[in-house]
Amino acid sequence: MGRTRSEIDHILEEALGLSTGDATELVFLGTRDVTTRFAESRIHQHMSASDERLVIRLHREGRIAVTATNDLSTSGLRQALATAADIAGFLEPVEPALGIVQSPAASAAVAYDESTDTADAALRAGMVERIVAAANAEKVQAAGLLRLTTNTTAVANSAGTRQFHAETVAELSISASDDAVLGQGWSTGISHRLADLDAEALARIAVGKAVRSRNPVAIPPGEYTVILEPAAVGQLLLFLGFLAFSGKSFAQGRGVLSGRIGETVTGANITIHEDPFLPEFAGMPFDYEGVPKKPVVLIENGVARGVVHDRASAVMAGTESTGHALPPDNARGPYPKNLTLLPGDSTLDGMIAATPRGLLITHFWYVNYLNPMKAQVSATTRDGTFLIENGSITQPVQNVRVTPAILEALARVEAIGKERILYPQYSAVMSVPAVKMAQVVVSGDDE
Amino acid sequence: MPDLLIVERAAEIVLNEARAMGASYADLRSVRISTETVRLANGQPDQIDRGRSAGFAVRVLADGAWGFASAPDLNEKTASALLKEAVAIAKASARLNAVPVSLAAMKSVQGQYTTPFQVNPFEVPLQDKIDFLRELDSALRANTAINETETFMEFRREEKWFYSTEGAAIIQTILHSGAGMVAAARRSRREAGERSFPTSGGQHVAGGYEVIANFGMREAAPRISEEAVLLLDAPVLPAQETTLILSGDLVSLQIHESIGHPLELDRVFGSERNFSGTSFATPEQRGALQYAAPIVTVYSDPSAPGGLGSYGYDDEGIPARRAALIEKGVLVDYLSSRETASRIGRDSTGAMRAESWGDLPLVRMTNINLEPGSGTLEELIAETDQGVTIETPAAWSIDDRRENFQLGGEVAWEIRGGKRGQIYKGAVYSGNTVTFWNNCDRIGGPAEYRIWGTPNCGKGQPGQNMRTGQGASPARFRNVRVGENA
Repeated sequence: MGRTRSEIDHILEEALGLSTGDATELVFLGTRDVTTRFAESRIHQHMSASDERLVIRLHREGRIAVTATNDLSTSGLRQALATAADIAGFLEPVEPALGIVQSPAASAAVAYDESTDTADAALRAGMVERIVAAANAEKVQAAGLLRLTTNTTAVANSAGTRQFHAETVAELSISASDDAVLGQGWSTGISHRLADLDAEALARIAVGKAVRSRNPVAIPPGEYTVILEPAAVGQLLLFLGFLAFSGKSFAQGRGVLSGRIGETVTGANITIHEDPFLPEFAGMPFDYEGVPKKPVVLIENGVARGVVHDRASAVMAGTESTGHALPPDNARGPYPKNLTLLPGDSTLDGMIAATPRGLLITHFWYVNYLNPMKAQVSATTRDGTFLIENGSITQPVQNVRVTPAILEALARVEAIGKERILYPQYSAVMSVPAVKMAQVVVSGDDE
Repeated sequence: MPDLLIVERAAEIVLNEARAMGASYADLRSVRISTETVRLANGQPDQIDRGRSAGFAVRVLADGAWGFASAPDLNEKTASALLKEAVAIAKASARLNAVPVSLAAMKSVQGQYTTPFQVNPFEVPLQDKIDFLRELDSALRANTAINETETFMEFRREEKWFYSTEGAAIIQTILHSGAGMVAAARRSRREAGERSFPTSGGQHVAGGYEVIANFGMREAAPRISEEAVLLLDAPVLPAQETTLILSGDLVSLQIHESIGHPLELDRVFGSERNFSGTSFATPEQRGALQYAAPIVTVYSDPSAPGGLGSYGYDDEGIPARRAALIEKGVLVDYLSSRETASRIGRDSTGAMRAESWGDLPLVRMTNINLEPGSGTLEELIAETDQGVTIETPAAWSIDDRRENFQLGGEVAWEIRGGKRGQIYKGAVYSGNTVTFWNNCDRIGGPAEYRIWGTPNCGKGQPGQNMRTGQGASPARFRNVRVGENA
């Protein structure tokens, strides 16, 4: 870890004391990011990066100004606070008024692991070496990422809120490939403890897929039943987070669920929660406004039930914050970082066995908005796509493009897996099962 | 800023101690970044942010492998500690690296570079910026059917010091200014027409506050508002294979996704395989692959003024230079670093860039400029009997080898008999990179040529948002699949 909690507390108290605002909110963000990337069976990037940043939200006569600095000396704090006070003079008062409140201390989450924080370069390189050896044994190339992050977050405000959270995150992602015959495979794992990541097991998954996906064939465009492995489900869920579950766009009437609470929006077998308290997440128990997080039911048995809020979106919507504010120098509004799709009772093998003709999709690449108003995205498959015929995987297929409208696609889910994995993307971690979905339009490989 | 003397002293320590610690190469990069965003929503200040961030990084080669460490607080003690950490990292990595890293040669460089500018945007009073944005907002709302607006400006200044064991000593100040506006006519959650200008996300260039007046935003406001209203009830572009004319900013996006990214040589060698993917354009195809039609010539040119990829030196100290990537349609070179260039026996094209002080430099786009032809967008349309023209990026996705793309614009028009006809929304098109570029039969001229700025190009792990430029005019492509389900 970088600074101790008492050192961080000292910086926050000093900044609160120096502030000339009517009220002041502070977020301390400390990171140590140790990344080992490998490709062509060698380490090509190995780095350690540290930073600490203070984001200031200064209130003056109803106006709210934001600034950020990584100069945490007394003079640096003075300068940043003066900048915030200067900006406030140009703003209009926020309507309805936001103010600040004292939030109760959030319950502590056990998410820091010292052995992860202190894992040295030799240990990291040794882990990569084992992955590379597993790939080479099957005559495929290994590439990937081992990333160990230590995050320290503290929130304080002049109303008396004080929150602190330290966590370590160990993430391992492995790609295996055989370029001459277009074989691709992939796997991922994430935990607060490096020791929880089984490098050999994850390597076996990626390597096995690469071997099985050699010499993929083209398939005709058309409608297919698809089985999405958990990571692919997570990628679609993440976009619902952007498009449907944020209280800001919801309150502004632009969100996919705006005006639709209580309506059926997916199939009855779909229930989606935001729940940082699931044991596998052990997520930060408060948000960047210091508000303790609450679990939120977003979609229940196909019916839209709610969205996540920060304080501003909650005021707009006439409700309470659910504790999902992002850092204040972010204009996107609240965001669910721990989405979970409730499991069903199927297995991946069972779904395949019950599919006369369809596709098994490992993972997507470049999921991006196509028609945000319909929650429609465009993406290509990657890392192993397979044809299913008569209940069995018969051959690998070339990557294809799909353009699902996500809620409509979730209305055609025929089966949901009972096993879930943790899937990290951007700053979110989701708990997701595999899903079997009917009538997905596949547009081919464009050649 | 870190005081110059502190930077020089830290660099002296790193460069002097590196060899004794077993490093065959070392560099130190110290950076201070200042940013400002002013954003109005519906005419009211919605976001005014100012930020600053400073820090430094040490990169070494030891036992033939790379090590890198960065931290915010530059002084003699931290410089020495980071060097020690970077060397330890490199030595640990070396056990896997059967072939030691070699670097393309470079001359020892000592120099300075500052983005040419007239008005420092950080010294322009905030009130002036807000007044300008309110004026734009009023111009958009002169059309009473417009009920949602956004106007914004963004500024970024990067001061950078670079020293290496090969004698580099470089000081640069790079200044970027950007602005944009959005007008929407919204009837309901799912019914809205929306247009952006100068392009979606705004135009961003290298220069001072003076550049914003040149974007033509005031003049464009009535047209943008009118088109947003027309889009509200416009039909979706019907599916068809046809001739497609793209506006300059969409050509810029097309260059970015299907020429810039696939020609990043680190990516070609697989360093992004686990994240943003690889490339179909493998090294044995250099000099042979007919990547595009013979009228297409594309340069990497960080020495061109005014782009987000304009600088004096890259983050390995390589002086900015123009390098052909595609010449008369043939693949001739890649965006490269010293390490990757040496693997194909060439000199670096000077494309190593890091988003911030704490990030490892990667091979990134500079200004990727498509040599202009002749004529304007309206002249290209007038020369086209039947087809579709699409403007302003709205959607983009491309596969992990950069071949199969689907892009979309905010608005399309049918072209019939050399004239614009029906307006359409849902302006999607798709294709294969090499086929598409080989079907380019017309490129517009210098009058509408711009280096369009992309301020958020994602690559790498940890993710870096690089600022890149793409020089482009409007262009025409034959036999393109457009419209619904393209």
